[in-house]
Amino acid sequence: MPTAPSPLDGPADGLAAASALRAIADELEDAEVERAMRAGWSWSQVAEALGVTRQAVHKKHLRRLLLAQIALRRRNYE
Amino acid sequence: MNRLVTAQRLAPVLIAWGIPASASHQFEIEAKQDGAKVIEAEHMLLALTTSSDGDAAKLMHEAGLDHERMASALKEERRRTLAFAGMKAPEKKLVAATELESPLSFGTSAKAAFKRALIGARHERHRAHPLRSTDLLGGILEAEMGTVPRALAIAGIDRVALAIRARGFK
Repeated sequence: MPTAPSPLDGPADGLAAASALRAIADELEDAEVERAMRAGWSWSQVAEALGVTRQAVHKKHLRRLLLAQIALRRRNYE
Repeated sequence: MNRLVTAQRLAPVLIAWGIPASASHQFEIEAKQDGAKVIEAEHMLLALTTSSDGDAAKLMHEAGLDHERMASALKEERRRTLAFAGMKAPEKKLVAATELESPLSFGTSAKAAFKRALIGARHERHRAHPLRSTDLLGGILEAEMGTVPRALAIAGIDRVALAIRARGFK
């Protein structure tokens, strides 16, 4: 049976880094979308800044923004 | 296991498995302290180290693994991982957002640990035997890759030997 590769060093470090960076990117996106919406940005502006569709931002963040009791602009729901 | 299973909903099951309620509640506390969105295997391992009435804690302490050592190994693991990409961990306030889910659900590594814990446990062969905290410890330690094995390697803990001891615990 081949020996299992080390969980440290080589590809293990790189793969762990990829996973950690993805998590940080997600956390940063959550924080910044919330900040933008508090500042009155529209869904479209946030989506454009992130380079994704408005629907994608809406789906991913609406629940949290409502929970955060951010006063979303009426047209934000459109 | 249901994708949205939460620690709170799983608590009675864990108690039936012989895992103290204090430990299952602690999974969530550890995850939140870590700023994580879901409970991962490392949070369960941290929780098991502080469960004073658990056999898993006893085995870990015998191997020199306590909460402080595990937490410090996890911190070093994160530093090392991010350093690979030329980064430092961002300041907490930079990535602080409103928390969405409470209670938290289990992440991939935690679910995998539960699955492994059940496989080969006495519980699987004889339902009358509860799944014990040592089986859960075994399930956590049997991951070959990921945050837990990396942190344990950093801490200088023989993961495989501890996993075998956990599985063979009488």
